[in-house]
Amino acid sequence: MASDKDPKDPYLERIRQLKPGQLESALASFKRLLDHKTVANLQSCVNCGLCADSCHYFLVTGETEAIPAYKLKLVTSVFRKLLSLLGGLARGSEGDGALDSQMVEKWIDSLYGRCTLCGRCTLNCTMGINITRLIRIARTTLASIDLVPPGLQSTVTTAVEKGNNMGIPREEWLDTLQWLSEELQMEVGDHKAHLPVDKPGTKLLYTVNPREPKFFPLSLLATAKIFYAASESWTVSSDYYDVTNYGLYSGDDGAAGLLSSRLRESMVELGAKTLILGECGHGYNSNRWEAPEWLVAEDKFQVKSIIQIIFDYIRQGHIKLDPSRIQKRVTLHDPCNLVRLGGIIEEQRFILRNAVTDFVEMSPNREKNYCCGGGGGQLSMTRYAKRRLETGRIKADQIRKTGAKIVVTPCHNCIDQLSELNREYDLKVEIKTVSEVVADALVIEKKEK
Amino acid sequence: MSHLDVSGKKLMLNEEGFLIDPNQWDRQVAEVLAKAAEGIDKLTPEHWAVIEFIRNYYLETNLAPMVRSICKTTGLPLRRIYELFPAGPAKGACKIAGLPKPDGCV
Ligand code: SF4
Ligand code: SF4
Repeated sequence: MASDKDPKDPYLERIRQLKPGQLESALASFKRLLDHKTVANLQSCVNCGLCADSCHYFLVTGETEAIPAYKLKLVTSVFRKLLSLLGGLARGSEGDGALDSQMVEKWIDSLYGRCTLCGRCTLNCTMGINITRLIRIARTTLASIDLVPPGLQSTVTTAVEKGNNMGIPREEWLDTLQWLSEELQMEVGDHKAHLPVDKPGTKLLYTVNPREPKFFPLSLLATAKIFYAASESWTVSSDYYDVTNYGLYSGDDGAAGLLSSRLRESMVELGAKTLILGECGHGYNSNRWEAPEWLVAEDKFQVKSIIQIIFDYIRQGHIKLDPSRIQKRVTLHDPCNLVRLGGIIEEQRFILRNAVTDFVEMSPNREKNYCCGGGGGQLSMTRYAKRRLETGRIKADQIRKTGAKIVVTPCHNCIDQLSELNREYDLKVEIKTVSEVVADALVIEKKEK
Repeated sequence: MSHLDVSGKKLMLNEEGFLIDPNQWDRQVAEVLAKAAEGIDKLTPEHWAVIEFIRNYYLETNLAPMVRSICKTTGLPLRRIYELFPAGPAKGACKIAGLPKPDGCV
């Protein structure tokens, strides 16, 4: 396969032909995003360089453009220039941080193209600078002049326009649910078992990643089986059921808020008690932690991850598991958005210790875990696919060292990246969601008729 | 971006190996993409049933079909689809059928 330079990349053309008015408008957006915390963060870097080794991009490539402090500096230099224009006395305010098309190109290449917003640099920064948030502020600035890389933008657009990020038509979603109900009935031997749709007044409203109904429905079937075993009162919505929110990654707060508010609409319409976010790291972070910043109204209900629900089922004896069914060695990948940025850390470990015989940790793990390389919207930004696979090497090495045959992760975005790494690095592992492993170990008791 | 040469025709592929111009697709192109994407040397009638359905569905609707429709139309069980296309319905089957990369977490 030969490699070519793309003669005319419409996206690059748009960057190079930016009009002064657009750049001014971007700078104005950037200025609006500067609150006191951000300003303090932008002035705190002491150039110690300790963040470099925390970033999987730098560890693999050794490139300057991959160092978190370099990425931070791209943002800081624009800030300093802005401050000097405003007459402030920032350190080194003379700088070369004009937000021109060259700077925009650098921003895009490093802040979209070499960052998964994984938060690992923030955890390791000497000064406690929230580097990840500053990178997202730059993305928000770029989004304000419509410069989100194409695949990431189209995923947001599809979600906004079609109600889910894969553009699944309503009838097809319903048809798939019907099909899964039939499969569930066969698996549990109960003709009453089914996946309830638009059922009013249930305890839980469940949300899924659209790639489940579209291409990988076994994970949804697995969750339905767990709900069945626990005799749960639950439903999905026929309209807004998409747990993902690529607005978190694109930086577009307007779109992000709209997508999160739709799940709230489903909650209100159906009168469910708790909003349950399916196995999706960024879906959890955006809908649980970020959404309150984007939304106007305050939630009157709880928002939880399905992992917390399964954890409770096991702890309270609502489901019974037989770990002896899974003898192969199992390891766990911690999705950055669920673990380091989301705070759900021990539940999935407790679940696995109950569901399998031989569970081993990767090293490092929990909030110190490395990103799989697929976050931050990277899966959708085809132009950076080579970097994504290359930087996934850190994760591939971590997996190989465990000697595991099954890698479990509570995130569909991670699942897709891990599946590619599996082929690219010939890991010979199976990749599963938490629900899938739990469903495999599930002991279904005959229900009283 | 890269390219593949198929009997004198130059096929442009994106960084993930998806055909940039879906109109360049034909059965011979599918064979070449199958080799590149999945390492499949020879597409079997089962592969073709899936590929042709995806292709026709895409030409009619501009979308990739649900895996549910693929199973229903071809009569193949879900697990068989995953065996036939280990890279999955999107990065395997749809790619070989010459579709652009679907949006979302794939
Ligand atoms: S957030 Fe993660 S990917 Fe981005 S710079 Fe920091 S460590 Fe690197
Ligand atoms: S660790 Fe923090 S203070 Fe040190 S160079 Fe990196 S961003 Fe700057």
